[in-house]
Amino acid sequence: MNRDMTIEREERRLARWFVAPALAFIVLGSLVPIAATGWEALYGHDLRLPWLGRPFVGLSNFVEAAADPRFRSALLHTAIFALITVPLELALGLALALMMHTAIRGRPLFRLAVLLPWAIPTVIGALIWRFMFDARAGVITAALQSVGAASESFDWFAHPLAAWVPIGAADIWKTTPFVAILLLAGLQTIDPALHEAARMDGAGSVRRFATITLPLLRPALVVAAAFRMLDALRLFDVAYVTTAGGPGTSTETLSLYAFVALMQRLRFGYGSALSVAIFLLTFAFALVWVRALGRSLIGDRT
Amino acid sequence: MTRSDLSCERRDGARRLCVVLAIVTACSASCREPAAVTRLTLSASALGGEAQLLRRQLARFAERQPGVDVELRVTPDAADQRHQLYVQWLNARAADPDVLQLDIIWTAEFAGAGWIRPLDRSGIDEDDFLPAALAASQWRGVFYAVPWFVDLGLLYWRSDLLPAAPRTLAELHDAALRLQRSGATRFGLVWQGARYEGLVTVFLEHLGAFGGGLLDGHGRVIVDEPAAVRALTFMSDAVRRDGIVPASVLSWQEEQARFAFQNGDAAFMRNWPYAWVLMQDATQSRVAGRFAVAPFPAASEGRPTAALGGAELAVNAWSEHPDLASALIRFLTEPEQMLERARAAAQLPSRRSLYETGALATALPIPIDQIRRLLDAAVPRPVTPVYSELSEILQVRLHRALSGQQAPAAALSDGAREIRALLARTGLAADSAPP
Repeated sequence: MNRDMTIEREERRLARWFVAPALAFIVLGSLVPIAATGWEALYGHDLRLPWLGRPFVGLSNFVEAAADPRFRSALLHTAIFALITVPLELALGLALALMMHTAIRGRPLFRLAVLLPWAIPTVIGALIWRFMFDARAGVITAALQSVGAASESFDWFAHPLAAWVPIGAADIWKTTPFVAILLLAGLQTIDPALHEAARMDGAGSVRRFATITLPLLRPALVVAAAFRMLDALRLFDVAYVTTAGGPGTSTETLSLYAFVALMQRLRFGYGSALSVAIFLLTFAFALVWVRALGRSLIGDRT
Repeated sequence: MTRSDLSCERRDGARRLCVVLAIVTACSASCREPAAVTRLTLSASALGGEAQLLRRQLARFAERQPGVDVELRVTPDAADQRHQLYVQWLNARAADPDVLQLDIIWTAEFAGAGWIRPLDRSGIDEDDFLPAALAASQWRGVFYAVPWFVDLGLLYWRSDLLPAAPRTLAELHDAALRLQRSGATRFGLVWQGARYEGLVTVFLEHLGAFGGGLLDGHGRVIVDEPAAVRALTFMSDAVRRDGIVPASVLSWQEEQARFAFQNGDAAFMRNWPYAWVLMQDATQSRVAGRFAVAPFPAASEGRPTAALGGAELAVNAWSEHPDLASALIRFLTEPEQMLERARAAAQLPSRRSLYETGALATALPIPIDQIRRLLDAAVPRPVTPVYSELSEILQVRLHRALSGQQAPAAALSDGAREIRALLARTGLAADSAPP
């Protein structure tokens, strides 16, 4: 007995050693930078204005952000963008996953085709979409003009609402395959016997989808939605490449504005405060999401 | 392994490190000193022919200054990226590069931050350099940089469609409208309307044309005054009411405007001199030999205005060889070097006297009489350490007005309010004490 305990203690110590590198990586790679950003956010620090020094300003950067109309509109843009694109990505991803799941002929080729957008670097994909929406050379604009749906002078990127379309299109095109793969994995865990039994009982395909596929796919859907929401709330690259936040700031997202504050205005204190705000918002979302859906998800399983 | 083993190994490691360090330092000491060469570094743009030109000039400087070797640090060509790099270096007090090529709008910022050294006034030929370029080289009455080459915003016009350049803004507007309506060209006028620095230079020229400005002589914000509102209204009407300027310009920079003009799609274009050589190349341009340049015209209450761009040279505040660095700047800004640059890279000299010489006339691709008229129209952008943030505020407001999200007057009054707040926050407001 004594010996067993010693072994157990030793094993535990060994386990700690095994975990240590991963832990160190998390601490050095995530926690320290986040803490440093949080610390920097408490200072008035403008790299361009060294004569102002680097005074401790407490929370006033956050107070400034809360009152900053540009920050507020960026927040609104980001939230609306996430709420529109994520459901679309989930719906399209589900459709693709079902097709991939049921396709028998040309399955590998089909999967490859579906995955292709995910494999293309985001910036390149976004640039391609930008070109397609170009007012003079873009195929999409040309097609609309040829059927008379767009006037000769119409330009997607000069219109505050229309400018969202290329961003949304590029983002949905790029990330739907990711959702589809996650959901496909979920579909493959569903026991075919359930469908078989339901069919025996006379359930149609719609009925089986609603009562078997969807409920059993819920864990995968919850995970996919969480991933996509977190990504959408941090949207940067696609928007930067397609519209850079314009016209004016009508497509500016939170991350774009933080980038402007940090890297263009070089206001490190304020920019850090914006970054921390984005972190807290996404973190809060993740927490609520996991609490609300994650727990029931675990509950379902046991 | 026991504790003592570990510490022993650690000690061993430290010893090894010491040996390595000793070798490295010994080598660097012995490798450098006997030659007694002072290494000076210069960071500059080195696009195509510019790199060769600069290497030639640096070699000549080294001949003149025995024992000095100048190394060229190639920095990103995109202004934003170079700026970011400079800020990182200088904020970390790096002594290298000794001499910095600055965009003309950065000088006040770098001077205010204490990143570049004040220059001896006596070493600068104040009578010769363009006044607008000299104004941009100083901060609070002290010279911090020497103008190297200049850039001037100008109007390209189709000499095959019009007998003469428009003399007034109204003439420009009418001609653009007429040519577009008649189908001679697809667009009347094109300029740079993307949300970036170029948009501010275009606005500056319209502002001058209506007799307005961004800041007045005392540094007060005047961008919400009636002249400025008229200027922005003119721009926004051109895009949104008359359609002589396509809405697409809202995402255009210099190159997109050039493509439209060289394809024969536009009757007029506002751009920089660089476009001249490219558009005279008949293999890629449909308008080769069929265009000319003129100052951007003015309304009756203003004057023709050419936004001043270009580059300056300054000495890194932490340079270990400030005197040599100043000597290098003096050398690179000598008339002879400027002429060579004009010939090799078609960049305009910043010395006025050169424009009276036949040498420059043959060196420059653009007819010199067309360029000479621009010199008097040159206007610098506001000289302030927070210029880039001021510009960013304006870019957003201008873009909002041009895309119909805000009326010109409202956009400018919001912009002016934000700029005043910026100047107040940074202690740079007209009535506050110098930093």
